[in-house]
Amino acid sequence: MSVSVAEEVAPLEQPSGSPISRFIWHCRNNPKRELWFAWWTTVVFYNFFTISFFVLSRTQPPANPALDAQGAADWFEKNHYGVLVGFGIMFLVTGMTAPQNALIAYSMRRMSISPAFGYSYLVLYSLSAVPGMLLLCIVLTVGAMRPGRDPELQQWLFDLGFLSYVGTMGVFLVGSIVWMLAILIDKNRVFPKWFGYLNLCNALTEVVVSPAWIFHDGVFAWNGLIAWWIDMVVFGIYTGVFITLLRNMIRREDFGTGALPDLPLKQTLETSGLAEAAS
Amino acid sequence: MTTPAGADAPPHDVEEVTKQAQVTRFMPGQPDMWAFVLFETLVITSYFVVYLLFRTQHHELYLQAQADLDLRVGIFNTIALLLSSWAVARCVQASRAGAYRSALTNAVLTIFFGFVFFVSKVLEWVREIRMGNGFTTNEFFQHYFFLTSIHCLHLLIGFVVMGVVVYQLWSPKRRSQELVETGATYWHTVDFLWVLIFALLYVVR
Repeated sequence: MSVSVAEEVAPLEQPSGSPISRFIWHCRNNPKRELWFAWWTTVVFYNFFTISFFVLSRTQPPANPALDAQGAADWFEKNHYGVLVGFGIMFLVTGMTAPQNALIAYSMRRMSISPAFGYSYLVLYSLSAVPGMLLLCIVLTVGAMRPGRDPELQQWLFDLGFLSYVGTMGVFLVGSIVWMLAILIDKNRVFPKWFGYLNLCNALTEVVVSPAWIFHDGVFAWNGLIAWWIDMVVFGIYTGVFITLLRNMIRREDFGTGALPDLPLKQTLETSGLAEAAS
Repeated sequence: MTTPAGADAPPHDVEEVTKQAQVTRFMPGQPDMWAFVLFETLVITSYFVVYLLFRTQHHELYLQAQADLDLRVGIFNTIALLLSSWAVARCVQASRAGAYRSALTNAVLTIFFGFVFFVSKVLEWVREIRMGNGFTTNEFFQHYFFLTSIHCLHLLIGFVVMGVVVYQLWSPKRRSQELVETGATYWHTVDFLWVLIFALLYVVR
């Protein structure tokens, strides 16, 4: 099955011409267009995410949890427009997480494993976006909307926003473990096994965030060195790696049911290596 | 390898060369697990760096708090884990030699010593909490409970990994040497991380 489909796909030569005409050609003819659409949506989403959270709203790195009521009220005043504009953008693009989750679930459906893995991941990550991201956006927007509000109330919104965002990292944990298990038992070589183990590293850092529920300051608070900074570095590496590996998966996809072929480049290298060895 | 029979017995020579190449290139288990070991060690080392950084800032406080830790318990923990590592190394050797019964016994021994470590760790936590040293008591105990529990979490995952090893060794239909060695690599990492934690929390004063 895989071979016949691959043969059908191979003869499609892309036309030469202007980039726009080539783009239109791909939209019409490329059998992987839906996959590429999902992948590009992921890339665009993470760019918006970075701009909204790190640059505009200044919610990453998170504000200081030790701030008193007046401090929290001042924080909202200072970041008034950043929060409104940054999260305004987030509300527009949050839906872009759906194709991303779909693509990851697709990667698991392409494996030699039970469909239950893909479905579990899809449900887990769809629900996780609510406490893991949306709640922060909504609550901090509410805080920024009326800067003159009672500081006690502003602090309440401040705590709810940041704690819901950082403190609920655990909701992503099981999803990472589901992906890890899927990769480790898969026989179709959709992802390298080391990426399965990297999922475990990522899941473990999500456990490390949980002390943020107890501490107001120090390394385990929600902006702490261990609970936030180290985790963010690991998450950044993990995200970069999985986006790259999903891209490779799409390039390797042959729409079959057996093992995924290697990348064309790797194949040429291997054959040339074999040729050298033979001569 | 330089002397031999080269000219008159080429097939034998080729076989020898392949064998030697396998020996020189040999890496126990999946190379992927070594990527995990490297990455996880980097992450945990960054926790150590944070610990040492804060320790230099409040040296007195850390020294006083450390006095409440019993070095003997730490040594007992270390010996239990070293024994488990020794057992898992013997398990790999036995399984390589095809002595699966002995490999299985050693895998079970590994789990047993790991369990001894786990129980003694929990008892130590209970003792510290009874002495009034909880997770939030002071900075030293924050790090103590954090590092020991994140290590224990690795240990619990290690039990699952050793479960896979036992499952592999159990039936002649499976017995993947690669998986046995991958599991052993993980277990050694758990042991190795403990030795570092032991040195930092109990010994360095």
